[in-house]
Parts: sequence; structure tokens; C-alpha cells
Amino acid sequence: MTGRRLRILIAKVGLDGHDVGARVVARGLLDAGMEVIYTGLRRTPEQIVRAAIEEDVDWIGISLLSGAHRVLVPRIRELLDESDAGDIGILVGGIIPQEDVAELESAGVARVFLSGTSISEIVAFLQTQSADLKNA
Amino acid sequence: MLDPLSGDKAGPRQEAADADRPASSVAAAYARWRSEAYEREFVGRSPRRPFVTDVGLEIEPLYTPADLEKAGFDYGRDLGFPGAYPFTRGDRAAMYRSEPFVISAYAGFGDGEVCNRRFKNLLEIGAEQILVALDLPTQCGYDSDDPMAAAEVGQVGVAIDTLADMEALFDGIPVDSVKRVGTLGNSIGPIALALYAALGEKQGVAWSDYTVNLQNDPLKEYIARGTQILPPAPAARLACDAVTWCIDKTPHWSPMTVCVNHINAGGAGSSAATAIALSNALHYIDAMLAAGHAIDDVAPLIHMFPDERHDFYISIANLRALRRIWARLMRERYGASRAEALSLQTTVYGHGQESLQEPLNNIVRTAFGTLAYVLGGASYVYLACYDEAVSTPGEESMRVALRTLQIIANEHGIADAIDPMGGSYLIETLTNQVERQILDSLAEIERLGGALSVIDTGFGRRLMTEGAVRRQRAIDSGQRPWVTVNRWPQKPNVPNTAFRGDPEAVDRQLRRLNAVRAQRDGKRVAAALAKIDRACAEGRNVTPAVLEAVRAYASVGEICRIWRDRFGIFTPSTDF
Repeated sequence: MTGRRLRILIAKVGLDGHDVGARVVARGLLDAGMEVIYTGLRRTPEQIVRAAIEEDVDWIGISLLSGAHRVLVPRIRELLDESDAGDIGILVGGIIPQEDVAELESAGVARVFLSGTSISEIVAFLQTQSADLKNA
Repeated sequence: MLDPLSGDKAGPRQEAADADRPASSVAAAYARWRSEAYEREFVGRSPRRPFVTDVGLEIEPLYTPADLEKAGFDYGRDLGFPGAYPFTRGDRAAMYRSEPFVISAYAGFGDGEVCNRRFKNLLEIGAEQILVALDLPTQCGYDSDDPMAAAEVGQVGVAIDTLADMEALFDGIPVDSVKRVGTLGNSIGPIALALYAALGEKQGVAWSDYTVNLQNDPLKEYIARGTQILPPAPAARLACDAVTWCIDKTPHWSPMTVCVNHINAGGAGSSAATAIALSNALHYIDAMLAAGHAIDDVAPLIHMFPDERHDFYISIANLRALRRIWARLMRERYGASRAEALSLQTTVYGHGQESLQEPLNNIVRTAFGTLAYVLGGASYVYLACYDEAVSTPGEESMRVALRTLQIIANEHGIADAIDPMGGSYLIETLTNQVERQILDSLAEIERLGGALSVIDTGFGRRLMTEGAVRRQRAIDSGQRPWVTVNRWPQKPNVPNTAFRGDPEAVDRQLRRLNAVRAQRDGKRVAAALAKIDRACAEGRNVTPAVLEAVRAYASVGEICRIWRDRFGIFTPSTDF
């Protein structure tokens, strides 16, 4: 990961059509100097994982407000691991119940950001994480 | 600048903007007060916050007769009387004095059976209209057993695959026992219409004895909300088919509600969002006129769904300005003459800036948001539940929402005088300013090529992303105060009960769908579906064929598959 800018895939999975939050985060990360790709709406877990691998991203940021996170997010983690892309980290953003935050974080999601999180908080998290990796 | 209303006719409005006229005595006195008294109080400190609204208009410290004078305010031309052109003061003459706004509920979850109990409960506590929230598979044209529906059946709304689900949903609720029934059905307009028409037949209620309301506004889905199925042009055509079917069969239904709501919520700001929604409405109207229908038949079937949730006074001004613009557009551009065509009925959904933090505070926010709409003269009023930002609303929060509407309609004397804010120096000034913003923005859209160009060129999307980023910055920087978010901040809390779908409802739904498929007359279904395809190919109104298919228990997914095969699908943009 050294020597290059962080690459992030912002993803909308399932039928949830609300992508303002996803776009605002994408724009914020771009402004913070990261390379950002957005999947557009209504992608399947398979499509997202394929795009993440093709685009050689460091992180996938999944936005979900429809309540389908408990099924779709673990599926993406599973597909990544199966595809030898276990090093790609997952962030989740949206409306996620407390109980599910813990569930997702123990199922291989690095961090869940609830809607209302400031962009700088997300940027700071990503920068710290990658600095940790570099120093590791 | 091209004026969407009257081309070159500058008229008194232009003259009025002339700032050279001599200041009246009030203007001079105001200037004196401002510098000698008001400004003096700020010596050594700064204002509490920037007094700028979300639409970018600055709020002055005080409004006086000088503001109206400067705008060339003309009572007869600008306001007139309620129920009369240009309808600024209200779409009906007696407004809330004869009948308050219609107390409405938007609800749906699980399957028809479990949702039916919620509806009965809502009616018991006084809901006068029910708009069915459909789950995402239904809205996007997938049956509950489609792989695309995985994890979403019955989640954010009720699953409707066939007429059998509607029968279960309205079991024991005759469609004529409420003021209006309906749903959004933006991308499945003719199917939603047919489901309600066929439901009336099943219940033995004549179409003339109940009223169906649909959103049926597909064009906004491409830039906001995202349930689009087909490319925009055929989607708009199908929506218009549902509307024109009503001209002959059910002219008292409201089969199209053109939405500002989601476009504003997505970041456009209410004035630009209103302009985009108006351009969508004009696209539908132009299509229907081109198909040979008359404006006086078409316009009364179209309602609008305004939205302004950030600024109380802008919200009042927006509704008043929108009614005036609509009346003038219908008369000046299209030559409409019927009062029903000139007066715009509005549906609103009371929001504030709801937070995930301490959600009970949202009761207060949504009440204020709704109050503004009522002061602006809305016709049909919904109110967001306090827990809506975090989950599908529960029974308790739905009751609080309905009671809030009942309180606004019946207590405090809020609804006693018509257009109570009319004549306010502030509100009339803002109404003019908001009207100008909307018209300028509409002119820009029309130069771009109209509603489809807003989608195709990425104009709408860009506008919304930029607006959303601007809003986010205003919150992050504290420029726009938000209690419990950037002032007295608290941790967000999404309760564990949110999104706990009912697995039994999903099973029931799949069982019902399978039973319908096994029992229905397959040949009749196939013939009806073939008829829909022919109507699509030949450019005829698809609604009669869709109604036949729905009566034969064809599913939403089966009908949408015909459309997808015929018109293709829309590829969502990856721009941000």
C-alpha cells in the first residue's frame, strides 16, 4: 500500500436507491486526496466484489439504508475472502441498529459509520488505518 | 433571461424590480433604524450565526412595508382570493374552514396480512387517507421470489406481487371508507393504478365511489430515490398512460403527484428542486397534450408534492409561490381555463431535520415542519414518524404522527383563518424571492432541453451532489446548528428493533405467490401479458391491458419483465 494514494470503492448494494450519503462521502474522500470509484445503484454483491478486485481498491465503503445489511454485507466479505481478496477492507455507512454494528464488525467489517458522521471522521479513520498498515 | 411564464412580457414585475424609485418614508426610517439602533447592538460582537437559508436567500433582520413597495406588491395580481386566480392564498375558497387538510398516513411493512392490522389501527385512530408503502422489490418491479429481491421482501414496505396481496391488505377495509387510497408506484404507475381499480371491483365498490392517489412520477427517480426500471422516456410514457386512462374512467382520481420532495432531500435545495419537479410535470403534460388530450382534462389530474424542511418561512413561501407559478403556467403557457386545472393541490410530508440522536426530539421538529406546510395551505398532509430516520415506524410513533396532525388541524386555532401569513412583510417578500428563484431555475432547465436533459446531462445529479456536500459542510462546520448533532452533540442511536423484518411474513408472502401461480388461469395470464406487449409496441395506452393482466392475477414482476424486454433497462450513473 506504500507510495500510492488510497483507493476506495463506494458501493450501493441491493435495491436501496438512496445514494446521496454515498455520493457525499465519495466526494469528501476525493477531496481528501483519495482515489474514489462509485459503483452506482443497485449492484449485487458479486458485481461489487468483481469491481473491487478489477479496480484494485484498498477499501470498499458500502452504503445501506434499506435494512438488508445483515445479509448483503457478510456476503460481500465472504466473496472477497473466497476470491483471495481478503486484504480489501470493508466500511459500512448508513442506518444500522446498534446490535448489528457489533455483528457486522465481528463479521469482518472494519468500521460502521452511522449516518450523520462527519466526513473528516471517516477520512481520519482511513488515514490511521493505512498508516498502521504501513508501520506494521 | 427567458421567462418560463410569458416570454417577453416584462410587465409590472420587471418595473417593480427597478431599484431606482425614490425611497418612501418607511424605507428611510428603516435605514435609519438599521444603522442607528440595530447595528449598534452588534458593536464588539458578531451575529449568532449567518442568517442564510438553505436556498441561499439571506434573511434580513426586519421586513417592513418598504419591502413590498420595492417589489411593486399588487394585491389583486399577486395574491387575489383563496380559490381564485392565481391561487396564492389557497387552492379552495373555504380552505380549512370547511374541511381541514386531509390527515394522511404512509405505511406498509411485511405482507398484506400483517400490514392489514396496522391499517385498521390507523383508521381507528383517525387516518383519513392511506398511502401504501411498498417494499423495494415491488417498487422496482421484482416479484418476492426474484433473486434481486433477496433480503428486501417486506422490509421498507409491504410486498405486493398480485391482486391477491391487495385483497389481503384491504380485507375488511372497503376502499370507499377512506378519503383516498393509493401508493407511490413511481416506476409501476399503470400496474399500481390497475391494482386499485381491480381491488374496487373485487370489493364491489364502483370506481366513482372512491379515490385513488398515486405518486406515479418516474422522472425524479433517476436523480433521486432510485427505483427506476426503464429508460426515462418510456417510463414517462407509461406514467402518462395511467393518467390519461383516468380522464375517461375516473376523472376524480389523482393519478400523478409530481415530487419536489426527494429532489430537495437529495440536496438540490427547495427552489431548484421545485423547478426540476415543474419541468418533470411539464414533460408529462406536453406528452399528454401531444397525444391529443386537452389541458383542462389533464391538469386537474396532476398534483404536486412540495418540500422544504430546513427553513420554516421559506417553506410557507414555497407553497404559496408554487401555487401561483402553477396557475400562471397553466393559463399563460397552456391556455387552461377550468379552475381545477389552474389551482394546484398539494401533498406534503412533514419533516424537520430529523436526527438519529434522541429521536423523540423529532416529534417537535416534524410538528414545526408540518405547521409551516399548513400555514402555506397544503391540501393533503402526512407527517414523518419520529423514528422514521432509523427504522420502519412502529405503532406508537405512527399514532403520535397522526395525533400531531389532528392537533394542528383542531387545536390552537391554527387552521381557523385562511392563509394566515398572507400580507406579512416577510412572507410576501420571501414568496416573491422564492418564486423568482424557481422561475430562473426553470428557465435554465428549459434552455438545457427540459426534464429529460436534467437526467441525461447529469445536471440534476450534479446539482444535488453539490447541494448535499454544501449541506454536509454547513453541518460539519456548525454553520447550520443542529441540536444533538453539532450543538450539544450526542451519540447516534439506532435501536435494535429497527429493521427486524418478520420472517413469517416473508414465508406467507412466498406461499401466497406460489398459490396464486398454481391456481390462476395460465392461458388468460399469458394472453393478457401478450396484449401489454402489443400495446407497448404500438404506442397505445397500456393501462387497459395491464388491468386485464392484473385481474387475471399476473404479477408485478411478470408485467415489468414485458416492459424491460420491450424498452430496455436504465443503467444508473456512476458519477458522484
